[in-house]
Amino acid sequence: MNALLEQFLSESRDFLQGIADKLMQLEENPNSTELMVELFRFVHTLKGNSGLFDFPEMTRVLHASEDLMDAVRNGRVHYSQELADQLLEAMDFVGILMDEVEGTGQLSNQHSEVSAALAQSLRALIVSAPEDSIEIGSDAISILLESSEISIPKTNVTAEKPTLNLPEEIAVELYRTAKSGDVVTLLEYAPEAECFFKGEDPFFLVRQIPDVLWREVTTLNNAPLAEMDAYSCQLIFRVITTADVIELRELFRYVPEQVNFKTLEAASFILPDGEKEEDALQDEFIASALELLNKDDTATLIRSTETMLGLVAPTLWFSSALRWLLIILECDAENQALKRILIESLHTFELPNLTNLAAEIVVEKSPVEEIIEKSAIVLSEKDHARFDMIMKSQRDVLRLPNNNNAVFVGRLKAVATTLKGCCLALNKNSDAVEVEKALETAISENSSEALLTWLANYTIPTEKTVEIVESEKMVKSEQDVEKLIISPEKETHDSSLIMPNRRAEDNAPASKTLKVDQEKIDRLMNLIGEMVVAKNALPYLANRAETVFGVRELSREIKAQYAVINRVAEEMQDTIMQVRMMPVSFVFQRFPRMVRDISRKLGKEVHLVLEGENTEADKNIIEALADPLIHIVRNSLDHGLELPEIRKAAGKPAEGKLLIRASQESDRVLIEIIDDGKGINPEVIKNKAYEKGLIDETTLERISDQDAVNLVFAAGFSTAEVISDLSGRGVGMDVVRSAVEKVNGTVGIESEVGKGTRLFLSLPLSMAVTNVMIIESNKQIFGVPMDMVVETVRVPFDQIQAIKQKQTTVLRGKIVPLLSLNELLAQNIDQIPNEGNEFATLIVRIHGENVGILVDDFRETVDIILKPMAGILGGLSGYSGAALLGDGSVLMVLNPRELI
Amino acid sequence: MKNILVIDDAATVRLYHCNILISAGYHTDEAINGIEALEKALTHHFDLYIVDINMPKMDGYEFLKELRSKDIPQAPAIMVSTESAKNDEMLAYNAGANLYLVKPVKPDELLSFTRILLGEGI
Repeated sequence: MNALLEQFLSESRDFLQGIADKLMQLEENPNSTELMVELFRFVHTLKGNSGLFDFPEMTRVLHASEDLMDAVRNGRVHYSQELADQLLEAMDFVGILMDEVEGTGQLSNQHSEVSAALAQSLRALIVSAPEDSIEIGSDAISILLESSEISIPKTNVTAEKPTLNLPEEIAVELYRTAKSGDVVTLLEYAPEAECFFKGEDPFFLVRQIPDVLWREVTTLNNAPLAEMDAYSCQLIFRVITTADVIELRELFRYVPEQVNFKTLEAASFILPDGEKEEDALQDEFIASALELLNKDDTATLIRSTETMLGLVAPTLWFSSALRWLLIILECDAENQALKRILIESLHTFELPNLTNLAAEIVVEKSPVEEIIEKSAIVLSEKDHARFDMIMKSQRDVLRLPNNNNAVFVGRLKAVATTLKGCCLALNKNSDAVEVEKALETAISENSSEALLTWLANYTIPTEKTVEIVESEKMVKSEQDVEKLIISPEKETHDSSLIMPNRRAEDNAPASKTLKVDQEKIDRLMNLIGEMVVAKNALPYLANRAETVFGVRELSREIKAQYAVINRVAEEMQDTIMQVRMMPVSFVFQRFPRMVRDISRKLGKEVHLVLEGENTEADKNIIEALADPLIHIVRNSLDHGLELPEIRKAAGKPAEGKLLIRASQESDRVLIEIIDDGKGINPEVIKNKAYEKGLIDETTLERISDQDAVNLVFAAGFSTAEVISDLSGRGVGMDVVRSAVEKVNGTVGIESEVGKGTRLFLSLPLSMAVTNVMIIESNKQIFGVPMDMVVETVRVPFDQIQAIKQKQTTVLRGKIVPLLSLNELLAQNIDQIPNEGNEFATLIVRIHGENVGILVDDFRETVDIILKPMAGILGGLSGYSGAALLGDGSVLMVLNPRELI
Repeated sequence: MKNILVIDDAATVRLYHCNILISAGYHTDEAINGIEALEKALTHHFDLYIVDINMPKMDGYEFLKELRSKDIPQAPAIMVSTESAKNDEMLAYNAGANLYLVKPVKPDELLSFTRILLGEGI
């Protein structure tokens, strides 16, 4: 896949997410114009991006969405739920297309139907808006029909061979205009079928044509109006005008390939029309008329024609031809051939020769084209049009009024630079010098007149161009002169000359974010972790230097150096942590849509509140969080929140509230999911757990309500009677718990029947480097994760009491159960107290409860990289992993949660 | 080497334009909105600007007005938009654009206009 496509996909997904977010926010705040404008911008940019690729199905839907949002933004269409649904559906479709593009690198052609249907339903929303309907197609035609003297011809005129079907009066008028010296141009404009989707308005464009003599609109292949597809343009506009072709080209500059210009000769309008019936007087008239023509007796011919005209029915072709004859005699009396042809045609009712004359078409040349021809540079038609377009644009710029002097002068300079560029591109360096002069005049006069004049003169090709063709050598010498003229000017812009040199150093890419493969970051992270461990070797070394080799001096120096390395390593570690940090919004952002869809499906009304979305945590943690959170939210929606009727009956507002809140507590992220639903009934849980054999009868009787509620986390527990397709997928909350614990997190639940449930997850900010406390027991050292350690105390032997064969102590007024580590590790040795007969006790927090672990002694805390146990040792759940210490020894890290 | 500043909030469009220009041997720089573009324009020399209209913070019109009001060498500016509306075009000219093109600008079209505006031939 090429880089552009990759960029497109990645950026577009952001936009899709952005659109979904904005729509959700709009739901809360349907009148926010700010949101609408932003939403429009997203859709607009997305459409613009898709236009770079050949994904017509995608672009079509996006274009329709953009038009819809434009209408919403401008207040033409009211924002509604239905509208949001439609847009979301459209964006989902776009997302599916993107998936396909991402997977296969292209789009199959099976989407066009869906795409068309979506676009149509989106557009239907625009059209169905009450005011300012922008329905195009048949509407436009009917307006056109009313507003001008046009007709849709009934004869079989094909699009390929357009024959003008002018009423005689108009033809006569056109003929007279053409004869009077005006250039009469026929403009044929066949907008492309997709033009309505490109923001084009052909009807508007046609109405902009000045000096219209006649115009008509026909349909492609003469399709009846009723059968036309209102979304595709199948119209052909024909306009006869005396307007300058240059002006017309400018008007149609965006659709040059869809317009055709023809200069019409006066004779082409002579098209007698009428019933082709023989008349008794016909032959006699022709004979006498030809005789008069030969004698060049115009006066008698006119009289005889007028007499004849009085005798024949005016609807006949013969009569029409006679009227034309009169007009020709009046306007073009010298043209013997034309008169003869017309008179002779009265025999046959055909005008063969004249149609040939009429077909003589001269294509108007634009001024630029002429210049170019004469300066002997071969330009393609496209390039002509481009030069032309640039010149026209500069004229438009120069004609604008001076509203702001600074901008005005800047504009003049920019126009001059542009024009100079054109001149140089055409190898007409002398003209560039003239532009420079005109600019100086313009700036000193504070008026664009000088440049406009230059432009006006430039477009009229005169001797100037001939000069160049005749004397190529002259150009060369002129170039030299020009260099002399330009060089002092360049000195004044000294800075601009220096800058390109400077650029070499500071051409850093503009983008401020850098997308890096996560693997690279992970590798960096591992390396830094290893370095953290390696640096830990230094204190050992210092120790050895002093004790083994007795070099105290060196020991001190090593320690000093260690301090420096330690600081740098810590900073590096912090920085790389920062790189890996992601806001929880990464997970949260999918909730609005999800909650909306699910609650719709279930017929529940839910108000979702997200808090603390900017709270950050390590990428791995955030990613590990996604699935459990989704599961929890689904559960809350499915089992927690009640249907509106039930809520009302319970005296609660019909709309349930779901709060998802993230916050940071020291080095942990706390995520709470709080609903105000029916809560968890401990009795139901107890019975269920008993039924499933999770607890025995004695526990059933003794278990506290809180413990009962906690049973939802037990493996193989699922409370819903019916496994719905939402929450129940054969997995229960135990999956949530294990997923959270995998990243050293904890999960808890609090619930009150009838009031609601609060689930909370506590997760470490980062998981790459673990801070552990080293403890000693039975001459071995072990690590205990610091995030579990509440405190370390030394409990005097006489304060340890036995309650029901279990050792306990009272700590700050609370009973804390005590367990011996040796016992937990199945080693039949008593813990060793210190000299004061006190036991080193590690208070750890497990499932919300404090437990004391008796050990032999405490050591320091260290940062380690915890490697999970693999292979056979992987089954030892009592250990969460092993780590390498600075002196090269291995530290086993305990997992008290499993151990106890 | 001629230096061209491509200003667009959409990274895809920037990449698209830059790819075309770079492949033709131009040096390009990018800006994601008018503010960033203006900062660059005031500190670096550019021979051409390719400006999107609809951008957050500072749109293309505002940027061009600011640019044109500064006393620096004024390079030509091509405004690119998805709309072919006469009104937008006049707004673009009023702001200081020299050319108004409708997106997506085809590669040969972009290069042809660039060469003309930079005076390098056809």
